[in-house]
Amino acid sequence: MKRTQLRRRAVAAAAGLTAVVLAACGPDVSSGPESGGTGTGPSEGTLAAPDTDAPSGEITIWDRSGDLFEVFDGVIERFNERYPDIVVHHEAVDIDTKLPTTLVAGADVPDGVFLDDAKVAGLSDHFYDLSAVLEPYLGDIAAQKAEVNTVDGRIYGVPWDLNPGLLYYRADILDEAGIDPASIETYDDLFAAAEQLKAARPDAAPIHLEKEPFLGQLWLEMFASQLGTSLADEDGELRLDSPEYLQILTWLDEVNKAGLGTRAEYLGPADLATLESGQQVFVPWAIWWDFAPQQLLPQTTGQWRAMPLPAWTDGGARSGAMGGSSFVIPRDGQNPELAWLFYEFLVFDPEGFQAVYGPNAIYPDGLNTSVPSYAPAADPATPLFGPLAALGGQDLWPVAIEAGEQIPGGTPIPSWWAGAVDYLGDNLQRMFDGELTPEQVIAESTEQIQTNLVDRAS
Amino acid sequence: MRRASRPAIGSHVFLIVLTAAFLAPVVWAVLSSLKEPATIITDPLGVDPGSFTLGNYRAMFEDVPIGSGFLNTAIVLVLKGGLTLFFAPLAGFAFAKYRFAGQNVIFGAVLLTLMLPTIVLVVPLLLQMRELGWVNTYQALVLPGAVDAFAIFWMRQVIAAVPDELLDAARVDGCGEFRIYVSIVLPVIRPGLAGLAVLTVMNIYNDFVWPVVVTSQESMQTLQVVLATLAQNITGNRIGADFATVWGELLAASSIALIPLLVVFVLLQRHFINGILAGSVKG
Amino acid sequence: MTITRSAAPARRPSGRRPTASRRPSGRRLAPYAFVLPFVVLFLAFGVYPLIYTFRLSFTSWSGSGPAQWVGWDNYTYLLGSDAFWSSLADSAVLWLLIVPAQVVIALIAAVLLNNAKLRMRGFYRTVALVPFVTPLVAMAQIWIVVFDADYGAVNRLLGAAGLPQLDWLTSTTWAKPTLALLFLWKTTGFAIVILLSGLQSIPASVYEAAELDGASRTRQLVSITVPLVRRVVLFLVVMQTLAVFQMFAEPYVVTGGGPYGSTTTAGLYLYEHLGRSDLGTGSANSFLLVALVMLISLLFVRLLRERD
Repeated sequence: MKRTQLRRRAVAAAAGLTAVVLAACGPDVSSGPESGGTGTGPSEGTLAAPDTDAPSGEITIWDRSGDLFEVFDGVIERFNERYPDIVVHHEAVDIDTKLPTTLVAGADVPDGVFLDDAKVAGLSDHFYDLSAVLEPYLGDIAAQKAEVNTVDGRIYGVPWDLNPGLLYYRADILDEAGIDPASIETYDDLFAAAEQLKAARPDAAPIHLEKEPFLGQLWLEMFASQLGTSLADEDGELRLDSPEYLQILTWLDEVNKAGLGTRAEYLGPADLATLESGQQVFVPWAIWWDFAPQQLLPQTTGQWRAMPLPAWTDGGARSGAMGGSSFVIPRDGQNPELAWLFYEFLVFDPEGFQAVYGPNAIYPDGLNTSVPSYAPAADPATPLFGPLAALGGQDLWPVAIEAGEQIPGGTPIPSWWAGAVDYLGDNLQRMFDGELTPEQVIAESTEQIQTNLVDRAS
Repeated sequence: MRRASRPAIGSHVFLIVLTAAFLAPVVWAVLSSLKEPATIITDPLGVDPGSFTLGNYRAMFEDVPIGSGFLNTAIVLVLKGGLTLFFAPLAGFAFAKYRFAGQNVIFGAVLLTLMLPTIVLVVPLLLQMRELGWVNTYQALVLPGAVDAFAIFWMRQVIAAVPDELLDAARVDGCGEFRIYVSIVLPVIRPGLAGLAVLTVMNIYNDFVWPVVVTSQESMQTLQVVLATLAQNITGNRIGADFATVWGELLAASSIALIPLLVVFVLLQRHFINGILAGSVKG
Repeated sequence: MTITRSAAPARRPSGRRPTASRRPSGRRLAPYAFVLPFVVLFLAFGVYPLIYTFRLSFTSWSGSGPAQWVGWDNYTYLLGSDAFWSSLADSAVLWLLIVPAQVVIALIAAVLLNNAKLRMRGFYRTVALVPFVTPLVAMAQIWIVVFDADYGAVNRLLGAAGLPQLDWLTSTTWAKPTLALLFLWKTTGFAIVILLSGLQSIPASVYEAAELDGASRTRQLVSITVPLVRRVVLFLVVMQTLAVFQMFAEPYVVTGGGPYGSTTTAGLYLYEHLGRSDLGTGSANSFLLVALVMLISLLFVRLLRERD
């Protein structure tokens, strides 16, 4: 074909297309996005409990595939004893990748979804406001969990688990080195203990430093939560530029620079290898790290123990929240009221939470990777799960419940939290790479988050 | 075929290195998929046919809905491939052998579609599917992107080389225009069609971003989507699944996914290569 | 492949049939019927979504509830955003890593394979296309395994040869080259066959004349072969440029756009807006990409024309 022709044709096509665009953009407003939603504004999207005594219908529930899927799967039978006419379709789904597109697609949307707390606010436009149905339970829900599900005064998730941060450590190695774990009360103590271990064994880099940006940011927020702060306050104002964050980042930087930390991706091959070899001794992490000695560390299982996190200041809080999940009810689902009944049973009904946390096929001694956030379920005196052989028979329940009670409130999660990983999550890793100082991490992340996320969120 | 001199040693070395590079990843993957999971990690380069096992395949079939992935891909291949293979040459025929008002504009649309990256239309197409109620349906997987612009473009060139006399002779015999397409044009351009068939099968088989977005239900996912979520599925479904096992199953699934296309290619490769070369020689 | 041929469209039946009115009506209407399936699909799944995106690009919308009109906000934000530009830069770097290398390798291979006396010619040609017919996602998964820093075959091989082992997928330095390798591996065979089609159209007599003049092999390649296949090469470059700027599955599967966003290509960055339910910004990004691709395409069309 002649080139002139080619170009002429392209121009002709462009002209034709423009004409079509203009024509279509005139009167045809209804096909546009303005009417594309469910038609209910946010204020109308409040869920009410069903008003029938014998609710019936079908619901589709999405859970992340894995251990929790199996656990929840086991509870459905119990739920059906209570509500025989509700059929639950339980699906294991890669929620992080599937949920956003499914919500936008608006078709075959599940009635209930298990979602990271860090992601609830970001997608809250698509979910029911649960303030009304949660009203009777709110007084008994851990403050931190209620906050992370709240956007503009509305609650978008049924708060499920509480994930207190703990310090996991190798009892055998500390014993050998003559370090009493109880003596580690502050992060300075932890630093000193790590130095002592390294002096005795040069290849040791005792403290775990998270390498994956998302988890790294979540981990940073655990430390911040101890100090009663988080990335944004309840008005959504960024508050990264604070003495608290500087203290935390400086400490992490010093650990790294002193060669006292092992940088590894959470339970990746390098992480597992160094945990087994004794190179890593301390893992300050959420309670759910106990999955590792139970399942992935055959050589050192039984040698690990848990204790409260060190405090940032003398007498400061000995725990902070890291991660956790809640249940959301999408507005495009078919039977949201029935999904609420399911979650109400799972979270607030003694039969339900006992079935979830108590002994089951997956966790013979009970589900011990988190504790309930609902006070009546989290009674220190009545453990839902038993002692863990992987922790040398330690009774984790009271340790975790007491740690949970220490978690300060006042740490909401902003809607753009997950988006901040591209900035703060990455910059934290750059600090470990030696490219940025703690001050630079704060300054750069603040600027980037402000312009790319906070200013765009309104 | 025209140059007389014998190739130097260097030529062979270059081609052999290139060939080895082309084959190595595939061969490595298939061989490794037959190894014990632990040895894939501890000894990635070792090959011991004596210890080959189908364990990775067995485990993979248990964990991954690869069967439904194959089935969905096959359905989409037949429908979408059929549409493209029939209608793209038809449009190419119109552009090559007729002159009609608006031809330039419509051909411009073909060029425009050719240049338009698929990814830019993903969001609006998804919203459109939602309005049509087509999310998680075969029509959503088949219709957008069917009658591929590149195929029209290519077939236009191929059909332009068909002698007009042939078509005119048919017309004299009283053949209708559509009959001419079916009984004269299509048989004559068979080599080009074979090339187009391989290319179309390839493109549809590899289609990724659109199926990922438009199928949320596992039962509707195509093979590529199933493959992409594989590692996640495997780690999730088996509590404490270790790294080596995941790799083993991943390699097994990838190896299985290689087979159909390789078979199609080996069967059609002569036509495919000749088909690509054909357009050139006849122009 | 045959964008290189210019003679074909000139030969139209109408040349011998001066007026359209003398043609039977079936013949006048037939071409419309023939292009109809394409046109319908183009309007339904090309034009309509384009208009949709265009309108959406001036709004802020999460995909639920009412959209908010924001004017040019999304555009000004993107044009002032580091992430947007770095996604383009990432694609540009990948282009630099891929296209020149591919053209050189494919050209050499095609010239060698064009020699009728070459032994195992058919074998080489077939093997070259094997990567092209492998499923991309499967190969991307295999890339993860093969290039793993700790347990991958490539690092083992390097180690065995006494060479330094690299963080292929986890360092900002090597992640892009590793993705480029995947792309090169996957498509170079196809490039070879396309170039081969161009080479085969060069008449043997041209070389015979050069041979008689005593021109060396290299000399022949530079002054005869390259100029004559220039348009095929340009065609290849256009195709691969579009493909590189669309690159999605490779970074999505292999690196997820990391480390530190260093493999967040233009396509992947666009997709991330969808993941955040930020459809307005995503649509504006789409339009900017469309504009860019059009610009590049026109540039190449011009280049092709000038070389005529």
